[in-house]
Amino acid sequence: MNAPGGLDFAAIPDRIQAEVQRAIMRSIKGVEYFATSGPTLGSTPKDVLHSRGTMSLYHYRPMSDEIYRVPVLIVMATTNRGYILDLVPGQSFIEFLLRRGYDVYMLDWSAPRPEERSLRMEDYVLDFIPDCVRRVQADSGEQDVSIIGYCFGGVLSLLYGSIFPDGPMKNLICFTTPIDFREMKLFSNFSDRRYFDVDRLVDSVGNVPPEMILSSFEMLRPASRTVSQIQLWENIWNDEFVKSYRMFDRWATDTLPLAGEYFRTITKDLMWDNKLYNDTMSVGGRPAKLENIKVPILHAVAEHDHIVPYDAAKHLIAKIGSADKEEVVLKGGHVSLVAGANAVKRLWPKLDSWLGKRST
Amino acid sequence: MTDKITDPVALWQKMVGEMEKGFNSFATKAMETPEFSQAMNRAGGAAAGAQKQFGDLMEKYLLSMNLPSREQMTGIAERLQSIEGQLGEIKMMLSQMSTNSAGSPIGAAPRPPRTKRPPSEGGGPK
Repeated sequence: MNAPGGLDFAAIPDRIQAEVQRAIMRSIKGVEYFATSGPTLGSTPKDVLHSRGTMSLYHYRPMSDEIYRVPVLIVMATTNRGYILDLVPGQSFIEFLLRRGYDVYMLDWSAPRPEERSLRMEDYVLDFIPDCVRRVQADSGEQDVSIIGYCFGGVLSLLYGSIFPDGPMKNLICFTTPIDFREMKLFSNFSDRRYFDVDRLVDSVGNVPPEMILSSFEMLRPASRTVSQIQLWENIWNDEFVKSYRMFDRWATDTLPLAGEYFRTITKDLMWDNKLYNDTMSVGGRPAKLENIKVPILHAVAEHDHIVPYDAAKHLIAKIGSADKEEVVLKGGHVSLVAGANAVKRLWPKLDSWLGKRST
Repeated sequence: MTDKITDPVALWQKMVGEMEKGFNSFATKAMETPEFSQAMNRAGGAAAGAQKQFGDLMEKYLLSMNLPSREQMTGIAERLQSIEGQLGEIKMMLSQMSTNSAGSPIGAAPRPPRTKRPPSEGGGPK
């Protein structure tokens, strides 16, 4: 029976009963939440192929009877850990690639040590990535290597590809990769050259602390952390919700510090002078123009990305020199594009169909 | 089933969602102003300065306690890092030697053949 205002009186007792049950479950699960450590992340079997300071190169053990000829090297963003791409079985991008027959390597980062404060952009682009590519070539026995760069890992991959246009990079896939840093409006304002003294900061603290990186990400949506905690409490009876919350929350707060000199270059060359977009970027004196990149490229961007807005990423495909290039805009945000339930249905199959035919 | 318009839980969730959007939008507008950048960086600069002063003070304290200074620890860390690097190189060389002599690295499972073709082979660039 419905009241004139649309209120269903008959359903009220059931609704109250359901809410009471949930309240009881919240109390039980709430205790469980604090007593357990959450799901184990990044557990796909792998071997450490090489490790040097902040840099680690992993090789994931194949899960298929037959693999594609061309190995894949994933270059992770320097601000975050690579296990976002290897959450739990069934929600792991790495596992997906392995099951689809790719030979997967990952260049992942750990917190730079105090003595690594002097690492420069040159170290990342002209040393770490080429070193890993050489090791992938040696390990796989193949000359060609496909590279997948996530977020700032995409920027590093673009710089690498534009400086070494003659190979061995065979294909390039960028996920949510910014090139027009003016369009990252809040970051741009936070680092306004009139008020932000990057030299003083780096000279004072050495490596930029992770708390500062995390705060700047959280400031992009200042209410979201509080709201997500409210949502956690409301849904704490729901094991799937809690599992997902814990995975993403742990990753999001597991931010890495940035090497001081590297951060100085990012701020001055990219945030202030927008050199990548203006075609004036160079690394170690070597010009890094996007038009130099001629290999097939796929750029996947998220419709609702608050960290790398579409306007900051949209010019990439136009500026690349490749004939075989494609941009795909998918529903989701900066993280949900690449990880989680939606990525399983959207990005991953798209990537597989694009990369598979270019990996033989 | 309870109508969403009159369901207090659904209403509460909607309200929280709207509040989040509203607050984020309001804060974004405020944070886009040069005044915000100025104030934030002034506070950040002061914090960085304080952190440096505190660090210097700690160095002096550690020295007086006859404990290793940061500089010395960094030196040890650099040496350890160099040793780690060399160990990695040795491991890699051993693995390479093993590959050359036995056909596969020590303890490694045989790799699957690199013969996979995409399911819809016949079209698309190679």
